[in-house]
Amino acid sequence: MKDLLTPRERFGLLVIDEPQDRVPVFPLVTSHAARVAGVSIRDYYTDGSAMARAQLVAQETYGTDFISFFSEVGLVAEALGSKFDYPDDDLPLLTRPKWTELVEPDEMVVDPRRDGRLRLYLDAIAYAYEARGDTVPILAYVPAPFTTAQQLVDQEAFLMGLLTEPDRVHALLEYATRSVVALSKAVIAAGGLPILVDPLASGSVISAEHYRDFALPYEAEVIRYLHRYDLDVVLHICGDTNPIIDLMPESGADLLSIDRIEIADAVTGAGTRCRIVGNLDTTAMLLGSSADVSHAVEKMVADGKKNPMGFVAATGCEVPVDTPPENVHAFVRAAREAGANPDYGGRRTR
Amino acid sequence: MSQAGRTGQIPKFRDPVPGRVTFDRWLELFERVPDELIERYHYYGNGDAWSKYLFPPQTFAIYGARHLRRLKFDNSLAALRMWGFVQNETERLFRARQIGKRVVATMGDLGAVPVIVNSFPDCVAFYPDCIWWTPFVTESKVLLDAAAELGIGDATCFSRAALGAFAKHSYFPDPELVIASTGASCDDYSGVEQLAASFASDVLWVEEPVRRECRMSMPECRATVSGTVYEVSTRNFLVKEFERVVGRMEQLTGYNLSDDELRAGVRRANRARRLVSRLRELAYARPVFPAIEMMVIEFGNLHYYSDMDEWVRVLEHLLATVEERVSRRQYVLDEDALRLVWITPPADPLLLTYVEDHGARIVGTEYVINQALELMDEAKPPLEAIAESFLAASLIGSSRARADAAIRQARERKAEGVIISGILGGSHCAMESRLIAGYVKAELNLPVLEFDVAPPAREIDRQLQTRIDAFLELLRGRR
Repeated sequence: MKDLLTPRERFGLLVIDEPQDRVPVFPLVTSHAARVAGVSIRDYYTDGSAMARAQLVAQETYGTDFISFFSEVGLVAEALGSKFDYPDDDLPLLTRPKWTELVEPDEMVVDPRRDGRLRLYLDAIAYAYEARGDTVPILAYVPAPFTTAQQLVDQEAFLMGLLTEPDRVHALLEYATRSVVALSKAVIAAGGLPILVDPLASGSVISAEHYRDFALPYEAEVIRYLHRYDLDVVLHICGDTNPIIDLMPESGADLLSIDRIEIADAVTGAGTRCRIVGNLDTTAMLLGSSADVSHAVEKMVADGKKNPMGFVAATGCEVPVDTPPENVHAFVRAAREAGANPDYGGRRTR
Repeated sequence: MSQAGRTGQIPKFRDPVPGRVTFDRWLELFERVPDELIERYHYYGNGDAWSKYLFPPQTFAIYGARHLRRLKFDNSLAALRMWGFVQNETERLFRARQIGKRVVATMGDLGAVPVIVNSFPDCVAFYPDCIWWTPFVTESKVLLDAAAELGIGDATCFSRAALGAFAKHSYFPDPELVIASTGASCDDYSGVEQLAASFASDVLWVEEPVRRECRMSMPECRATVSGTVYEVSTRNFLVKEFERVVGRMEQLTGYNLSDDELRAGVRRANRARRLVSRLRELAYARPVFPAIEMMVIEFGNLHYYSDMDEWVRVLEHLLATVEERVSRRQYVLDEDALRLVWITPPADPLLLTYVEDHGARIVGTEYVINQALELMDEAKPPLEAIAESFLAASLIGSSRARADAAIRQARERKAEGVIISGILGGSHCAMESRLIAGYVKAELNLPVLEFDVAPPAREIDRQLQTRIDAFLELLRGRR
């Protein structure tokens, strides 16, 4: 059935606390878009127009409610000096962090027009914005300071530093924050809505206390910057968010994108303060049948619709590159049907 | 934010040297705006975070207003505040409903009925008509396509976008009442109103009478504050129509509006109209403010962008900025720029940026909203004052009267040319533009450029660019 609203109109209602014609649908299609469009993974990550074209094709193919740009979580770290490798048919890999141990950081702040692959990322956003920005929100993942910092320093040294050298960790986080803000500003200029992504701050990696002390303050700082622009900020943390779900709203995020947590628990922990975005298990997307996906999505949406601040039907993390397209179609179809709002527009809908 | 916070010292922000700036430049300027200033401005006198509105064009571009990226803006804080306030209106209307205000759609009359609606406590009037700009600002045919699916296609004025907006229920909350004016108004829009009525729960139709040509020497003729002559019987008819508006609003709200309250509503509206009048006087006499901002200011007189009190404060801020520029002789355009009068508002605001970029400036306008610029006589009974001011309306009289309004301004400001931007598909434009052009040429011997604004696009059509360039070249040659 043809939608009454465009994705942009639907999202616009969600963020001003108004009912929509149906729940927005957002399987996190990132590098999987390359498969849909027949683009090599390497090209997807190294050519802005290829990334944009792939996203546009994927959005049209699946009928999702967002276009979402994501490189790997080391995007900012790479621009600051960490080294990545780009396999032909696999995701980018961190080959050498900028520092092998915690050090006093330099004064560098990324120049998004010049450093790393930021330019091509921004080109991709601008391309998609010109092509479809009137009807579809263009989202762009921006790695949060905590996750960025772990791509700048040997990860083990960083995590040890949380215990042994907290001041140096904070110095590094402040250093990362400046560049994250610089990228955020450039994303705004390109027409994208930044999504803050902090997977390495999840409960699967660190404790709630470390999240509160080291990740949350810097998420909050970036979000404060984005709120100066009145932007509705999504904070995405994949992995286990059970231990931190009640802390995440303190970041100031307007929407929480979550992964391994029961939706009902997320609603209890954060639902009166934030819209919830989530959270189908991506393993099910990759390995399950279409019927499995549909069934799981129906249950997820039924639970998510109970969130008082609103809900977006999403996957908990990126749709795996080799996910069968029929499973993504099944996700979208089930979410649209289960998320329909028959009362939208009331009797006055013609 | 607390009330104390809002009434305290205004944080310092020094306007840059006056000028027109690009979209990208505003991003850099906005970085310098202190947080305290962003926190300072709220609509509906509300302190919640959602009611802030001091945000740059980038904010609205991210949410779909793509055309903003191609415009040039005044670089003052007052202009930034104005754009933030205006661009925020969709959210504001939904918030109005959320906090218990009654949202009333007024259609077609462009300026009169909101004076009545806004006189009721906690009532907000707005014009779906103004959504005609949305397809251009978003560079999108979504609303026009939605209207086409409902039976109004390309052969109709862009105001058909309002029908698409009614159908979608996402551009404004479903109004509790629609007050739709028809009669001596735009034919196309009357058609839009009739179809839009099927989406409304309650519609009151109001008849706009024709303003017949008459002279003060004739018995039973009077003049508006600015001198438009009308027949008393026409005004009396309109008073009766407006009494029906008051009656229906009383039914809706359960509130009996007193004459004093209505009189206060007239005074508040006049406050806005006086400010706009002064801004027009200053900004069209000297190149102290860009045309695009001035168009937004003039159209604010229709319904005050759904918050009259805050809009008046925005206007006061704008006027202070403009007055300072006048006193310092700080201009945003070349003092020697070609002087143009513009007739009929351009649906594509980029046209105003374009002519300014090419060495011209606007010194007078006839944007079909003369009734909203006309002061109301506060000594008269309020409904009579509202009706009388409406009788200065651009569309209820003759084309000759519209031409005369433009001719007066062209003479006063020594205009060198006139541009008439018609509306593709707008039924009155096809007939009227040629007539008005003829009157202007005959009276002033000024070159006139007529064209129809094309459907929404990223850029101005190349052929039209060439025509504008040639027109401006012609004007230069006549110096």
